[in-house]
Amino acid sequence: MRADGGAGVERRVRTRAPGEPRRVAYLYLAPALVFYLLFAFGPLVYTTWLSFFDWNGLTVGTWAGLDNYREVLEDEDIRASFVHSLVLIVFYSVIPVFLGLVLASLIAHGRVRGTTFFRAVLFLPQTIATVVVAIAWTWIYAPSGPLNEALDAVGLDSVSRGWLGDFTWALPALGLVGTWVMFGLCIVLFLAGIQKIPLSLYEAARVDGAGRFREFLAVTLPGLRGELAVALTLTTILALRTFDLIYVATSGGPGTTTTVPSVLVYQNAFANGRVGLAAAVAVVLTALIFVVAFAITKLVDRDPTT
Amino acid sequence: MRRGWLHAALPAALAMAIAACGGTPGEEAPDTSDQGADTPAQEVKTDGFEDLGEVTLKVVSSEGSGGPRDAIKELTRQFEAKYPNVTVEVQFRDFASWIKQARLAASGDDPPDVFAGNQGYQLDGELVKAGLIAPLDAYDEAYGWSDSFTPETLQQFMWSEDGATFGEGNLYGVAQTGQSVGVFANKAKLDAAGVDPESLETFDDFQAALQSLRDSLPAEEPVIALGNKDQYGAIHLWGGIQGAYTPAQDVRDWIFHADGATFDTEGNLKSLQVLKEWADKGYLGKGDSFNARNDSEAAAAFGKGEGALMIGGNWNAATARDGLGEDAVFFNMPPGESGDAVAIGSASVPMHISAKAENPDLAAAYIDFITGPDAGQALVDTAQVPAATDTTASPSDPLGEDVKAGWDGLVESGGLTLYPDWSSPTMLQTMGQTFQEMLEGRIPPEEVVSRTQEDWEEYHAELTGG
Repeated sequence: MRADGGAGVERRVRTRAPGEPRRVAYLYLAPALVFYLLFAFGPLVYTTWLSFFDWNGLTVGTWAGLDNYREVLEDEDIRASFVHSLVLIVFYSVIPVFLGLVLASLIAHGRVRGTTFFRAVLFLPQTIATVVVAIAWTWIYAPSGPLNEALDAVGLDSVSRGWLGDFTWALPALGLVGTWVMFGLCIVLFLAGIQKIPLSLYEAARVDGAGRFREFLAVTLPGLRGELAVALTLTTILALRTFDLIYVATSGGPGTTTTVPSVLVYQNAFANGRVGLAAAVAVVLTALIFVVAFAITKLVDRDPTT
Repeated sequence: MRRGWLHAALPAALAMAIAACGGTPGEEAPDTSDQGADTPAQEVKTDGFEDLGEVTLKVVSSEGSGGPRDAIKELTRQFEAKYPNVTVEVQFRDFASWIKQARLAASGDDPPDVFAGNQGYQLDGELVKAGLIAPLDAYDEAYGWSDSFTPETLQQFMWSEDGATFGEGNLYGVAQTGQSVGVFANKAKLDAAGVDPESLETFDDFQAALQSLRDSLPAEEPVIALGNKDQYGAIHLWGGIQGAYTPAQDVRDWIFHADGATFDTEGNLKSLQVLKEWADKGYLGKGDSFNARNDSEAAAAFGKGEGALMIGGNWNAATARDGLGEDAVFFNMPPGESGDAVAIGSASVPMHISAKAENPDLAAAYIDFITGPDAGQALVDTAQVPAATDTTASPSDPLGEDVKAGWDGLVESGGLTLYPDWSSPTMLQTMGQTFQEMLEGRIPPEEVVSRTQEDWEEYHAELTGG
């Protein structure tokens, strides 16, 4: 009887499973939510609203329906800007993540003297304001800058050029700056992740006769799944929305070779007086970022056991 | 699943509804329909500002280089000395970025009282259309600007009230200086190549000199120091070539959207081909390296001795003079077959008064002070040419004299073409990009012509269609 009654009480109290959200949670969320709605969601919605207008930013706008979106899809320069962003993803995301993985797995368990020091140095670019990074690299890439002087000094005069003014090389040159900035973030993330992987797994792999490469595939890579997702998401988003580096270093030129969507947003909204079109580009860019971030999370950050 | 979808869709729909309550963007903009009619009748004050108490005048200047900035600082100091109760806060912005920020700054709740605009449809036309700047006809009468400035100068600041007609209507600003694009030369390098600047009488002479200079300078050094990162350096350079093949009046007609005007002329095509030839012959330096720096950086490099020539705005004179001293000379591009000197040039950017300025009379007094006849000395001291014709100050250094002679020559021959990018809100971008693409060899000069004219026609249709 007693046991039965006890079970009855238990049932009444536990109307929801442990861990299930309760309404009071919204109260705790409220302060952050208000800020989010006011400063992130609100502007996003208003931008979307503006994207349906033909508006110069000053005088009364006229309803344009989906015209701006049609232009985003049809205009060659706008489409090209999205392609430039994809190129930047390779430099901002793919290369740093790959290099980061390789280097992190090499130094993680080895006894390299001064690891902390190198880690700090590699992470340093992350702590510098992008405008400063852009100015520093503009100087490095300048026609008479250190990079060209070094090339000239070793007899590679035919290779030296004004890198950021060159139609072929401006985008890769900017991309490499992104690699330089993002690499440190990746390696620090991965090093921290590897510390978490139990040494016993590595020992087991050794016992099973795995070489370093096999060990990397079987132990390190699966163990870093979470960090990999974070690194890929962060760097990809930064690649897609990059603006300050390009604005300072090339302003989207030469021609339109380094024009990315965010630069188009700026040019159209402020220089050309086409706020509606700028808003449409911004909305498409935001949607793209959502999709890419979502896809990365789905693909990479999935627990293989489920 | 269904509930999850609803959770996402409901707030979105709600949010769109809220946004729609914001209404059509720009609706709250001031109604400007009868502003022009009222203002000229208004009484204006030109003195007695001592009685205003402690006031602050906020000013934004877009002068990016040393000389013009120094002149404005000096004149502002003098103005504050004249009215000790007035504080003038001057902010200097880089021209290329200011013309993009200006509309936003002007449309805010607390805009600067006096700020630089830019002639043409990209900025001034939009500011007038939105009623953000005040018509200054009453001050024109009070200060006698029509006597100080030539009709050609004032025409650049006149607009119909709806901002659709450029070159007539109300006056919306006046400017400090006459700015023209000409040839800066490093005399030491010309001497070394055996080129005498005095002997360059025709455009053909000039082209021959370019080749002699190319042969005499080391291969890695450009003959002409150019900076085209901001995409207008090459347009200014080309203006010098265009002048040799096209009458100035045709260029102006096109900029002011005269009916039947077109960019698609033999002269324009020929001048673009010549520009490309110069690049191919290595006059502009190695590859596209000029795209890696902007106009002021190129001027600084020229001042440090890079290149024998710089074809650029006379606003760079102080930079050239401070760097090269006696070796710096300036002259107009030698004329083509017509024999008339033609070059890109106009009055400098207009200083506007915000429609929301609290003390418009004081703002006008400041503008008159920095542009009028008494401003002349500070302007010539920085190797600039005052736009006001009734100034008595004259330049005291050889380069300043060169610059003044160049400007006077162009005014006399009616050879100032104004700036091609005034012709539409998007023209600076269209021409800037196509020029870079042509110099790189991606598109032929014919395509620069067609894309430029296309941009013009699109805007022309907008202007004439309503």
